[in-house]
Amino acid sequence: MAGFREYKIGARLFGLALGGSMTITLFFPSINIASVSSTDIALTKQLEVGRESGFNLDDPWMQGKNKPLGVSLKVDPKTKQPIDGGMQVYVYEKGTSFPSGVMHPRILGEGIQELSVQQGHVNDANKNVGAVFTIAKGLYQGKEYSYIDNLTATKGWTPADVMSVAKDSDVSEAGKGKTMFIREGCWWCHTLLPEETQDWQVFGAPPMLGDFNGESPTAFGSDRKAPDLLHVGSRNSSKEWMMMHFFNPRLVQPHSIMPRFDYLWGKTDADGKKIDFAKWREEYNEYREGKRVSPPDVPSYASNSEIRGLIDWILSLK
Amino acid sequence: MLKYLFAKNEDIPSGSAAIFFGFSAIIWFVIGTGLGSFNAAKLAFPDFVTGNEYFAFGHMRQVHVMAVIFGWISMAFAMAMMYITPALGNNKLWSEKLGLWNCFLWNLGLTLGLTVLWAGITSGREYSDFPWPIDLYLATCVFIPLGINVWMTILNRRTQGIYTTNWFFAAATFMVIIVFLIGNLPEFFHLTGLTEAYLTWWFAHNVLGLWITPVAAAIAYYTIPKVTGNPLYSHRIGHLHFWSVVVFYSTPAAHHLMSAPLPEWLKSFASVEGVLILVPAIAFVSNIMLTMQGKWYMFVENIEVRFTVTGCLMAIPLNMQGGFQQTRAINWYIHGTGWIVAHAHLALLGFSTFLEVAAVYYGIQSIMKRKLYSITLANMHFWLLLIGFTTYWVSMTIAGLIQGAGKIYEVPYIDVVIAEHPYMIARWLGGSMVFSGNILWLYNMWMTARKGTVVPQGRLPHELAYER
Amino acid sequence: MSWNFDKPLRTMCDSATNEADKVLWEKEDLGGITEDNNRLPVPIVLLVILTVITAFAVTFPLWGQRPTAEIYEGYIKAMSNPEVLAAKNDQEAMEKIIQLNKGKGHDGMLERHPVTMDDLRIMKPEMEALMAKGVHMDEYEVVGDHVVMANFEGNKRADGTVIRKQPWWDKGYLIDIFYLSYFFIGVTILIKRLPPSSWQPRHNH
Repeated sequence: MAGFREYKIGARLFGLALGGSMTITLFFPSINIASVSSTDIALTKQLEVGRESGFNLDDPWMQGKNKPLGVSLKVDPKTKQPIDGGMQVYVYEKGTSFPSGVMHPRILGEGIQELSVQQGHVNDANKNVGAVFTIAKGLYQGKEYSYIDNLTATKGWTPADVMSVAKDSDVSEAGKGKTMFIREGCWWCHTLLPEETQDWQVFGAPPMLGDFNGESPTAFGSDRKAPDLLHVGSRNSSKEWMMMHFFNPRLVQPHSIMPRFDYLWGKTDADGKKIDFAKWREEYNEYREGKRVSPPDVPSYASNSEIRGLIDWILSLK
Repeated sequence: MLKYLFAKNEDIPSGSAAIFFGFSAIIWFVIGTGLGSFNAAKLAFPDFVTGNEYFAFGHMRQVHVMAVIFGWISMAFAMAMMYITPALGNNKLWSEKLGLWNCFLWNLGLTLGLTVLWAGITSGREYSDFPWPIDLYLATCVFIPLGINVWMTILNRRTQGIYTTNWFFAAATFMVIIVFLIGNLPEFFHLTGLTEAYLTWWFAHNVLGLWITPVAAAIAYYTIPKVTGNPLYSHRIGHLHFWSVVVFYSTPAAHHLMSAPLPEWLKSFASVEGVLILVPAIAFVSNIMLTMQGKWYMFVENIEVRFTVTGCLMAIPLNMQGGFQQTRAINWYIHGTGWIVAHAHLALLGFSTFLEVAAVYYGIQSIMKRKLYSITLANMHFWLLLIGFTTYWVSMTIAGLIQGAGKIYEVPYIDVVIAEHPYMIARWLGGSMVFSGNILWLYNMWMTARKGTVVPQGRLPHELAYER
Repeated sequence: MSWNFDKPLRTMCDSATNEADKVLWEKEDLGGITEDNNRLPVPIVLLVILTVITAFAVTFPLWGQRPTAEIYEGYIKAMSNPEVLAAKNDQEAMEKIIQLNKGKGHDGMLERHPVTMDDLRIMKPEMEALMAKGVHMDEYEVVGDHVVMANFEGNKRADGTVIRKQPWWDKGYLIDIFYLSYFFIGVTILIKRLPPSSWQPRHNH
């Protein structure tokens, strides 16, 4: 055996080099990342959006199924007494997958995990029945933490109870909207990551380490061709503006290069009437050519349309 | 192709797998750049083909990216492996049949995967966009069979030594399988949060660093000595290159997330490693350039050498950008801007594509023993690619600097969009040039296979390039 | 695997192995391709050394940093200075404050991130509240007129609390030093197992 062409040693060295590199880039960071505790933002996001929003077997065609409903409650669903200041709860109807923090409370972090299990009874949540969650505050070893409270176990509120007292305008389909956000590729242009630069002044605070626990996909985006959206709901909370902007961005921003998302309206509008897209486009072209004074009205969207979820999700990004 | 899938291995002419991979790669290149040009048109003129979900930018962008990475680039790699690996071992491909099945399953899986992506069914993770069943398919039916064929061919070689190119081929096929299986863990096992974000970029970085970059370089290690007839300048520099790719290219994944909340120490580590990517680059470029000694006339006369050397020269700006743009000092300015898009195209359309194009030109001619149908078309292909790419790169770099300035000086975003408009048009023109160049290429290669002059035994195709 | 450490920088193989290598090297033809045994050219070695030095020098976060609250600490304190209080208008007061804080180590940052008296009045109560708590002011940033906690996380002090500033040195750099050393030692040994670079194969003989 000659000295050069030492392939056995070479192969071992290769294993050592690649193994060493993976130890440093995968194993070491995993220790740090595993010890990160959920912030309130992370708790809210995972309850609001539920389990994965990318491809998954519960929603293989990415239609926004298997997602919770956000409900701002004004009355107690059992006693029907008004709740002082209202209460934000997340309704997981029967069969809806629970978010990662409920399935694996360990990812919530120290204190939050113990409180969610002991006081929030998240382990008692049953997918075959459904559950109602909220974020509560409690003390663990003398320190205050937010935790996930399973109201179905602690107060006996079932999804049906909550939905019976909720009006459609109290319900947010943000979870469904995140699926739309991923499916429609919004994140190819709109990042969800204000940077530690002057970005902060314009698009709001950059996220913290624990803001993502339980979220998948995080969809930070890497190629910003449009404004960052992580805090867009704080800058613009107008449903009407969003509606026009999604239907045809050039209606509200003549220089926008965003695609039109009129197809998310589906076939019918809020009143159940068929939407005539061809006519709308024709009238819009006439408006652009100066033959009409004003652009045609944007059709209202049906409450079960895909655009409804998307707008709810965008507005939930505070 | 179908008739060979069920033939006996001995009955399949050697080189068949390489030919099928070669033409598949060219066709995917035409499709991929066509989609790129279409997407670019949409960014320049947003109402160009509108109101239909299948032509929406968000549905098509990832199809373009995946078609060029897993269609064009990876299949061109497979083509190169199918003919270069056995050539360097003085033997035949371990199994032509496996190679053909590999090619068939690859085209099938990729078509399926891209269709699914086009419909919007995606994991929502950049570069690992494919839903996890497709990822598993790609690992088991695409990369593992490819690896087996390469490894077995090397193990059954009829030489004692293994040439540098084959070290890279064997290692890179192994690493890409590992990267596929680990990078997609978040999808297989519902991992969430920072783990998901970090592994997304661990995958993205390593698929470029441990698959595309080393294999492209390995191809140049074959093409240049083979076509010029010079010995490789240094076996030693080859070692420095190989080991620094494995060690330094596999570590800086976190530098893609410099502005995201990852542990700071990880960013510190990754950014130092990111600069050290210059070590393999220095080794590679110097080795190839020194091998060219005495044969520089071929840079002008020979199409394969011209493509390869141009690709190698592009590795210099590529790695200078790549090394420094990821440091905290520079990243804050250009992160997330068109600068990065330009850089990604310099890596994939500049550096890597130019090296693979040479391998495909050379491979098809030498396996089919046919002279290139038209050297004029090949020259047009070269210049359309080079000028198209340069237009793209320059316009996107400028657009990126505008975006960076807009970010730092708090310019309202819409003003940035308006300022970028001319550069978006230039980008579209550049992309369209690349696309049209590729159509010429497909025609030229098809005609080479059909009507190329037969190369006599014992001669190399490029030696006859200027003979009638 | 026979080692010879007499001249480790020339070759680490004994002469018998080297001779066998040379024969094999010249005899073998790998698909029509041959290899030479040239050494790493000196300029390349220098470039690699330069790259390593640059890699560390350029990755310390010396540029592009946002102003931390720490740089304005002196301004806030100077606001209650009698000379400043005696100023006729805001402009004069600001000039006085700047003058009082010259040469305290933050001149460059302060010049790049100027503030007005109005900004300082908004920042003052926030900063004073933080300073009273005794927190590390360099972990806070000034965004607009507000003092906010920075988000550079993940490094910890010895007592387990989190550091929130860009590091100029942390364990990431330390791991780099070890990792690099292993690499260069390993590659040097590998290359020195080859026949010395003074020997070149004669191809096609």
